[in-house]
Amino acid sequence: MNRIKNSFSGLTVVKVLIYAFFGLFMLLPLFSVFVVSFTGEPTNLLGSLTDPAIFNSTLEKFKNISMDNYKRIFSGAGYFYALKNSLVLAFTVTIIIILICIPLAYGIARTKMPFKKTISALCMIPLIVPTFISAYAFIIMFGRAGWVTQIYNALGGEGMLLNPYSMAGVVAVQVFFFFPYALWPLVAAFKVSDISLEEASQNLGAKNWFTFIFVTFPLALPGVISSALLIFTVSFSDFGSPIVLAPKELNLLVVEAYREISGFFNWGGAAILTVVMVIVAAFFFYLQHLFTKGKNYGSVSGKPKQQKLIENKLLTRVLSGYSLIVVLIPVLAMLSVALQSVATTWGKDLLPSGYTLNHYKTIFSTSMGNIQNSIMLATGALVLSVIVATFVSYFVVRQNSAKLDFVASIPLVVPGIAFGIALIQTFNTAPLQLTGTAVLLIIAYTIRRLPYMVRSTMGSMRAIKQDIEEAAVNLGATPLTAAITIVGPLMLPGIAAGSVLVFITVIKEASVSILLAPPEWAPMSLAIFQNILRAEYYSAAAMSVVLVALVLILQGIANLIGKKQRL
Amino acid sequence: MGSVKIENMTKTFGDFTALHDINLDIEEGEFFALLGPSGCGKTTTMRCIAGFENPSSGSIYIGNREVEKIPANRRNCGMVFQSYALFPHMNVFENVAYSLNIKELNASNPIKQMGIYTRLLTRRFGKYPVELKNKVMEILKYVELENHADRLTSELSGGQQQRVALARALVMEPAVLLMDEPLSNLDQKLRHSMRNTIRSIQQDLGITTIFVTHDQEEAMSMADRVAVMDKGHIVQIGTPTDLYSNPSTPFIANFVGTSNILKGTVEGEESGFTIVKGEGFLLRSSNKAKKQEVDVIIRPEHVKVEAADSVIDHAHTNVIEGTVIMSTYLGSIVRYDVQVGSYQLIVDTTYSSGANIFEEGKKVKLTVDHERVLLI
Repeated sequence: MNRIKNSFSGLTVVKVLIYAFFGLFMLLPLFSVFVVSFTGEPTNLLGSLTDPAIFNSTLEKFKNISMDNYKRIFSGAGYFYALKNSLVLAFTVTIIIILICIPLAYGIARTKMPFKKTISALCMIPLIVPTFISAYAFIIMFGRAGWVTQIYNALGGEGMLLNPYSMAGVVAVQVFFFFPYALWPLVAAFKVSDISLEEASQNLGAKNWFTFIFVTFPLALPGVISSALLIFTVSFSDFGSPIVLAPKELNLLVVEAYREISGFFNWGGAAILTVVMVIVAAFFFYLQHLFTKGKNYGSVSGKPKQQKLIENKLLTRVLSGYSLIVVLIPVLAMLSVALQSVATTWGKDLLPSGYTLNHYKTIFSTSMGNIQNSIMLATGALVLSVIVATFVSYFVVRQNSAKLDFVASIPLVVPGIAFGIALIQTFNTAPLQLTGTAVLLIIAYTIRRLPYMVRSTMGSMRAIKQDIEEAAVNLGATPLTAAITIVGPLMLPGIAAGSVLVFITVIKEASVSILLAPPEWAPMSLAIFQNILRAEYYSAAAMSVVLVALVLILQGIANLIGKKQRL
Repeated sequence: MGSVKIENMTKTFGDFTALHDINLDIEEGEFFALLGPSGCGKTTTMRCIAGFENPSSGSIYIGNREVEKIPANRRNCGMVFQSYALFPHMNVFENVAYSLNIKELNASNPIKQMGIYTRLLTRRFGKYPVELKNKVMEILKYVELENHADRLTSELSGGQQQRVALARALVMEPAVLLMDEPLSNLDQKLRHSMRNTIRSIQQDLGITTIFVTHDQEEAMSMADRVAVMDKGHIVQIGTPTDLYSNPSTPFIANFVGTSNILKGTVEGEESGFTIVKGEGFLLRSSNKAKKQEVDVIIRPEHVKVEAADSVIDHAHTNVIEGTVIMSTYLGSIVRYDVQVGSYQLIVDTTYSSGANIFEEGKKVKLTVDHERVLLI
């Protein structure tokens, strides 16, 4: 890579600040978890640096370091099954999602298929729904008394079409509610690829399908692979659907870790499980790196190109029909939740026995605070992650900062529950007591969701050719000014796409909220989770509907702003 | 305005040496071309001048000033990129105004800076100071784009984009204008007219211009002087006519125009001529040979083709016998491939209508004047 070596003092300061941010709020807590996995009890590392007394007690703990925790867990067969099950789950979900998404992404990016806008809009729905809600929605649909089961039995089927309380149930929920994570990066990958290369292929005599398999698809491959990595880790560390659906005999790592913490306060055991998860995910990051390195796929150059959309009627209709089926299932799940939220009771028959708005009255009288909290926390996380992600992408793409790329990808592989524990443990005492504040909650959300933002901004950053930036420098701009005036605006579509994703995921975030949110800052997702725990399913459903509606409104506003801009 | 001087510049990328001991002395107001095949180091040389690369050793002077410590953004070298590198989110006016905005930004206090950043980011056409606006419009008029100021660059043709890139570089009144393969993205016809446009603008403004190209015709027709590069070395520097008539190596002879290159051995001297013998030919040259084994260079247009039975006076010209392998009619000229010994010589003869074209397989006599046989 060519580097602009001189005069990046301004950028260097920014880089140091970003490393400090990650170091203090991510690496230090994770290192603490690593230490705890050996000592078996909480260790105040930050305090050890400032207070000699704490330093001495930490030293004492270090003397007690042993492999006991590891031995105990490695000898238990349950741990191996948990790892195996988690891997099988993540692999299955990843492969199914990529296969489902390729035609869908191609349809959205490159064709004029009917209902494209509707399909795109409906694809946002799974992103809005917290996984424990979607898991619950699948019980409403596919459970013993579910309406799908009732229809299936009426048509002559026996038992359940799909048992939600099983591995297959968890896979189904994750596939239909995680596919948009892969879809949007794939759409972006199909959009940026150079259409003239495809035309060249056709010109050389290749049929359309041949061009797709050997030209379009390989060009989009970096996008496909990074999407697969994203899905794998999301599925691997998803907490919501397993905790609701996994039966007792189906051990999964996250559930196991949660039980160690909430059930037995076994800090050491949870820490070990976290370390194992990080190792597994790091391996997949390495694999992805191996696939994509050394390929230059920059496609937006200073020489502008126009892209043509496919209008072939048969192809677009088939794609449209297929896409509608895929997006319809999460929609039906959400409609089931909506129906439950206005039902007096539901379960005996195909439809509820009566309808009422009482659940909503309860919410708006007692839970307004949760709604406000969600919005404020999500806004804070959004602003922070836009700033951090934009600069991280800049350093990774332009200065080949692989270290920063790795650091910024770590949150992907750390389950929320484990990250929450790490933060609590690190910041619950002096010198930096942040546990129980909104600040720590916002930082936690930001770091948790940063990889999505970074991936989104990095995609648009990669698509900006180096010479456009060099032109700005050549015309007198410092690298920092060039970043603000040229690179920044060109990245806006990526930033906007990432922002929506961050906002939505923060609003539905459950695991970090459960551990970190103080009562006065409890967001909606925590309220919903608590309702489910208390078996108040109808108010949980009503709150979920409010949450979804809220996000839909915000999405609409974001789209309006997007349209006003020229890009 | 400024001269450019490069002394003993070397550039390495890891184990690979891209530039070996480059020395250039470009005068103020000169139109200078860096010519060579791809990978020869011409673009790297230009990027070193612009400040995008740092030389591994050696120094660069722009207007007698050593620029090693000056970052790319303060070198004041206007550059026209091969891809034009126009800012796709800005219109023509904003692209050209960019450097003026930056200049103003650097000269302002923080509060005013915020205003300029806002102007750059929200891109309000109307908010520019009158002075700046006039300057941009003036340069746009100069490149005949004053009616396209509010167009997006993606709406322009290739030639128009090229002129925006040129205007954007010129508006900052650079000490040196750098152009990286500026014509390679244009079609043949446009390339021809852009060549004249660029040359006349350069002459008009008297701006020192360095021009990178792999196209010898482009370099020869536009530049005052040309440096031919190969594998990271400068092989020869000279005026176009210089390079053509006195190539210093067979590489140049072949790269600058077409040449027949024959291997020969010097047999001796006879009445002021050098006698060279090779496979299937014996030639006299008015050149002095510096060594025993020489490369014999003969330009295709310096050879005449005569019928095998014609009588030619050997005293005044070289005569070689050969067989026509192929004849190609190219409009104003006819190109013959003639087998002479183990060589196939290319011969260009001017064609006037009605003249006889020698058919394939025909025995012919080729004549070359003594002073047209170059020995390297």
